[in-house]
Amino acid sequence: MAYVIMAAFLVVAGLSFCRPLVQHLGERIGIGELLFGAPYFWVAVLAAIALITMPLFAEERRTGTLEMLLTAPVTDLQVVLGKYAGALIFFLLVTTPTAAYFILLKAVAPGMAALDWMPIFTGYLILWLIGSCFIAIGMFVSALTRSQVVAAVGCFVAVSILFFLDTVRLFLPGAAVQAALTYMSSTQHVQDFARGVVDTRPIVFYLSLAVFFVFATVKAIEARQWK
Amino acid sequence: MIKVEHVTKRFASAKAVDDISFEVLRGEIVGFLGPNGAGKTTLMRLLATYLAPTQGRVFIDGLDVFLHSLDARRRIGYLPENAPLYPEMRVDEYLSFRAKLKGIPRRKRRERMEEMKVLCGLKDVERRIIGQLSKGFCQRLALADSLIHSPELLILDEPMIGLDPNQIRAVRELIGALGRRFTVVLATHSLAEAEAICQRVFIMNHGRIVASDSPEHLAGQLQGNVSVVAEIAGPPEEVAERLRCVSGVLTVRLVGPATSGLGRGSALWRRYQLGCHPGTDIRPAVFGIAAAQGWPLRELSLEVFELEDVFIKLTASAGRGQTSG
Repeated sequence: MAYVIMAAFLVVAGLSFCRPLVQHLGERIGIGELLFGAPYFWVAVLAAIALITMPLFAEERRTGTLEMLLTAPVTDLQVVLGKYAGALIFFLLVTTPTAAYFILLKAVAPGMAALDWMPIFTGYLILWLIGSCFIAIGMFVSALTRSQVVAAVGCFVAVSILFFLDTVRLFLPGAAVQAALTYMSSTQHVQDFARGVVDTRPIVFYLSLAVFFVFATVKAIEARQWK
Repeated sequence: MIKVEHVTKRFASAKAVDDISFEVLRGEIVGFLGPNGAGKTTLMRLLATYLAPTQGRVFIDGLDVFLHSLDARRRIGYLPENAPLYPEMRVDEYLSFRAKLKGIPRRKRRERMEEMKVLCGLKDVERRIIGQLSKGFCQRLALADSLIHSPELLILDEPMIGLDPNQIRAVRELIGALGRRFTVVLATHSLAEAEAICQRVFIMNHGRIVASDSPEHLAGQLQGNVSVVAEIAGPPEEVAERLRCVSGVLTVRLVGPATSGLGRGSALWRRYQLGCHPGTDIRPAVFGIAAAQGWPLRELSLEVFELEDVFIKLTASAGRGQTSG
């Protein structure tokens, strides 16, 4: 399962990386935008996150192993943090090999000017920030259901809405609301970071959202005691 | 070891456990017996700290499981229903994971794992993937896991499901042997199991405890529970009349002709069942009558009701009470 996700993600990400290369042949384009500016790449990221997080609690709930886990002498918070850390590390493992694309690009295009590492670095920064936030959301959704399919679909829809909030904005009235949605929309953040522009606001936004959903997951697991 | 005070667990629709109180002493083997849906599993989950009671309190070794959940859990080995395991792990991997989770220090981990594998007969499958194991091995692996941190209290929910008769005997003996060192609480719907293992049995129905005692006493508590079977050759009406006059006899019932195969000789052989007051032995009197009348007597035996009869009587009548009330 893990290897399938990893391989599938790298194939899709590779295709998405090649596309702007071919399209913009001979033109000037930001190096970071090659990978992090492509919508296909982000859809693959969102799908990968949904697939990584879907079994976290749903599968344990279905098979009953959750009962074994939660009656061991560990706190619910420890269980949740453990699962979160596991998913996050796997997400890093899945996404880091994409760095090879840039290295390969440099190797096969010797005529190219020296690679500008800054947009690449900031690109990964926003990728992992978004990952850490969306994985927390996916984990939360997984803690609510015993069906992995429901968890995956629920997570994918939730993080897609969050990611494409600036599109959602078009359907809502009010300048203030629209501005707020644009501020929260990941597509905006991604475009900035892919050009090497670092803004601290999204960093705080994603990290605080991640903390919130980790906390919400703990509460969702504890809820068994009150139902 | 366990003290349960007026515990109620209410789910959205119904009370799964309804105002239960009991105590279990250290070293006891206690069984919870009841039909499906009686609230046994919910009660086990409450004891194992997986669920919290809606009302009432549960103490394990003097610790309120709600306030000192982790300390209580260290003392508990819990085997949930159907022995849930991670199918993709190997037996060794799983045990080592659980040992780590339960905070067994690294130095002692290997040693404990070896002990458990020998105790539960898992030596031959230690490298196998759990998903490929038979139900019996899974059950034993889950049992090994529940014992690995040397708990003081063992909570077993239907530990014999899916085992073949040999394995049942082996697990029974294992639990019996453990019972000397641990306190064991098990939920089961098998009467034979409760009778064979437990020193004390609680019978549950509709979330309540409807009876509790040792299996023998429980059977002895039933009213009119003693009956004597006699096989006598004599004129049936006269025999029945005479037997009815014996003091202590409440009912006389003809339970058909004599047992087959041995019926040669007199055609008057009949089998009588005599219901009598508990605590009186009417057999000498029955023999006296037969001897005085010159009726041959070839069987005279005391029938003691089995736990099964008690179980059926209690759970069936409580069921009626619930529907009418």
